[in-house]
Amino acid sequence: MLDIIVIALMVTGLFFFFGTTIGLHRFPDFYTRMHAAGKGDTLSSILLLSGLALYNLHHLSPDTVQVSLKIMFICVVIFITSPTATHAIMDAGYESKVKYWTRRKDSSAPQSSIEPGKGEDT
Amino acid sequence: MKRLTLLLTLILGAYLIWSVEDLPEWGDPTSPASTYLSPHYIENIVEETSVPNLVTAILADYRGYDTMFETVVVFCAGLTVLTILRRTERKNKKVSTPRPQREGSDIILQNTARLLIPPMQLFALYVIAHGHHSPGGGFQGGVILGASFILLALSYDLKKTLKRFKESSMLFYSGLGVLIYAGIGVVCLLLGKNFLAYAAWSNFLGITELEAHSHGMLGVEIGVAITVMAIMFSLYADLASGGDLDEGL
Repeated sequence: MLDIIVIALMVTGLFFFFGTTIGLHRFPDFYTRMHAAGKGDTLSSILLLSGLALYNLHHLSPDTVQVSLKIMFICVVIFITSPTATHAIMDAGYESKVKYWTRRKDSSAPQSSIEPGKGEDT
Repeated sequence: MKRLTLLLTLILGAYLIWSVEDLPEWGDPTSPASTYLSPHYIENIVEETSVPNLVTAILADYRGYDTMFETVVVFCAGLTVLTILRRTERKNKKVSTPRPQREGSDIILQNTARLLIPPMQLFALYVIAHGHHSPGGGFQGGVILGASFILLALSYDLKKTLKRFKESSMLFYSGLGVLIYAGIGVVCLLLGKNFLAYAAWSNFLGITELEAHSHGMLGVEIGVAITVMAIMFSLYADLASGGDLDEGL
């Protein structure tokens, strides 16, 4: 029973990693690529690590429970840091006016109410 | 001149490749290094130093001199970067680069940093203090401590971080770490043993000589960690602001 859950978690994790890789390779611009990398990477890492934590519980003892708790702690840290890092990279790209992909021909720069990259001391 | 250098390099390289033949096989148990020294460390390290982690024991005890001067190298590297980048004339000619509009005001980054920095620093102290028993030690723990300050500077801005960790205290702590390391060695000399022979501390602290080895290693690891922490952040602050410490990430 435990094996089935572990296999399901690992396969789902690998599936999402595969999606992340394809997204990173095939999406048209910086922002969509970061979107694929940030979301898929976080979710698949957590699925894979949860699978490992569960697999570790085959021999139930205080030691293995401790190791599993440590793995789950890594999950928590990844859950906090990975989206934040994606956000920071994305924000830096927006500030430095990275062009985004669109089907329309006239809009080559990001359009929003605040003009990106306009520093106070320029 | 270039051709002469190339010729010399080629000759030296060919000679080195030729001499590789005479080196012992990789991991050969009968090679000179693994015949006398390594077995001695592996068999006697716990009896001689009471520290189960061989790497820490060799690094901080058997090769204490080496590690002390590694710390001095880190210290000198930090001072060199500071000296090269700090040029007051440059400030007048400095072209101010456009700063990001929302610099130092990203609430997501700031709250994540506030959440992560305390556990990071606690973990760094654990790595320093637990270097005897598990992977870790002064250099690793010091780098994690320095990284926590860099994270603060990245998520807020450099000025705010420099208010908490001033440049004068960076210099003070980078020197203090080396001084702690060398001071522990000098006290050994004053107590009548060799430099960095931690056994000398046993009478002074009222513990056995074995415990003195362990405690001495902890002391020098703390010294290494303080220097590495201060120099890590000093390097970041100088390089990010071009040496002026006025703006930057």
